[in-house]
Amino acid sequence: MAETKPLIGLKWEPKFPGLSLESNTGSKVAAESHESSSLWASKSDLVDGICLPPTDPRKINKMIRKQLKDTAGSNWFDMPAPTMTPELKRDLQLLKLRTVMDPSHHYKKSVSRSKVAEKYFQVGTVIEPAQEYYGRLTKKNRKATFAEDLVSDPKIAQYRKRKIKEIEEKNRAVTNKRWNKKGNQSKNKKQRRN
Amino acid sequence: MRHPQRGRGGGGCGRGLARGGGGSAGRGRGNGHGRRPGGVKGRERESDGGIIGGSKVLVMPHRHEGVFIAMNIKDVLLTKNLVPGETVDNEKRISVQNEDRTNVEYRVWNPHRSKLAAAINNGIDNIWIKPGVKVLYLGASSGTTVSHVSDIVGSEGCVYAVEHSHISGKGLVTMAKKRTNVVPIIEDARQPSKYRMLVGMVDVIISDVNQPDQAKILAHNASYFLKPGGHFMISIKANTIDATLAAETVYQKEVEKLQMEELRASELLPLEPYEKDHACVFGGYRLPRKHKAATAT
Repeated sequence: MAETKPLIGLKWEPKFPGLSLESNTGSKVAAESHESSSLWASKSDLVDGICLPPTDPRKINKMIRKQLKDTAGSNWFDMPAPTMTPELKRDLQLLKLRTVMDPSHHYKKSVSRSKVAEKYFQVGTVIEPAQEYYGRLTKKNRKATFAEDLVSDPKIAQYRKRKIKEIEEKNRAVTNKRWNKKGNQSKNKKQRRN
Repeated sequence: MRHPQRGRGGGGCGRGLARGGGGSAGRGRGNGHGRRPGGVKGRERESDGGIIGGSKVLVMPHRHEGVFIAMNIKDVLLTKNLVPGETVDNEKRISVQNEDRTNVEYRVWNPHRSKLAAAINNGIDNIWIKPGVKVLYLGASSGTTVSHVSDIVGSEGCVYAVEHSHISGKGLVTMAKKRTNVVPIIEDARQPSKYRMLVGMVDVIISDVNQPDQAKILAHNASYFLKPGGHFMISIKANTIDATLAAETVYQKEVEKLQMEELRASELLPLEPYEKDHACVFGGYRLPRKHKAATAT
């Protein structure tokens, strides 16, 4: 019979009055005009807070993407991005400044990581093998954060303090240099009896 | 990578004693402690990690997949330990605690011991090894580099380690007992038919055999196991191939030998500060030819 189309596969559609896959009403507007029907309620009618999952596929994808954790990817074994605290920010800052911390230590110019945001990193402690017992940090010398660790070496601290003093001298350079008494020499008249 | 600083080791120890030590006697004692072990270990341990045990480092992903880098005063190369808590050759480990209280461990990769690490530090473009990849490693020796490769390929990948000597093979087998993705094969790499039952098709072949006919060995194994479009790495020691010629000539000759066997070299990298007169060659096997018509349009 030429009238009935051969149906390939099963076909089922919910029996909403006025809505069917084969109807050629076209735009959604025409469909929405059937709001008088009891079974179909427009979106504006739904109460906020009663959550229906979105039907729009783009919105569904967005939800799925948001649920994915922020990691460096499976190629780096899902290294998670840490939640940024001020301590971690300081850690990253100090890492960038290590070129100036020791004048004798020179660093290769590394790949500028500013393009790939420095999102994925972890702070770890080094566990030394038993042979290196005498070269390790004592408990008292171990620091809590990476930043403190970078800064704690006494030789580097000496260099840093000297440099800070020099910079402060320069910034303060307005006063008369003869009046700059240093250390024990700065006594006022009363103290300088002898 | 950069100047290994010997002073750091001595300084590290002196640090601990500076407050309590007091007189020169104390300091002398401290120096004895610090210097002697540092001195004996000398060069080979320095770049194992100039980082001191107990210090904190920042671990970041490296450009190469599966590899990480730890930053402190010095930088070291790391791989994620497949077997946390175990070291293969008494290397340093770095322990990280994540925010969700899980612990991750990384192992320090010594470029002085491992040619692959030396190549990475010297700036190779692409090592072709990443998580999930199958690797055939010829000339595995005791398995230090193999363990790092197995760390990189992770639990989905596989490393077939071939080593002829029984003494090194023992070390390899004990290492493989702990790691489920390493298959130790104690056979001569010159006869891949002998282990063809154990090895499937691989994505990458790494060859560190150091034999004069290593190009032929690599080609033979590639014809058995390497997939078309796969890649290879071969490390060339100029002295074993031909001690009379200059190193660069030896490298060129090897590259030509490989070329004849459809192993097309893409990078030749001398391993300069880590090994003398060594180079490594990376390349592809039966790579699909780019059609010029496609590029023209």
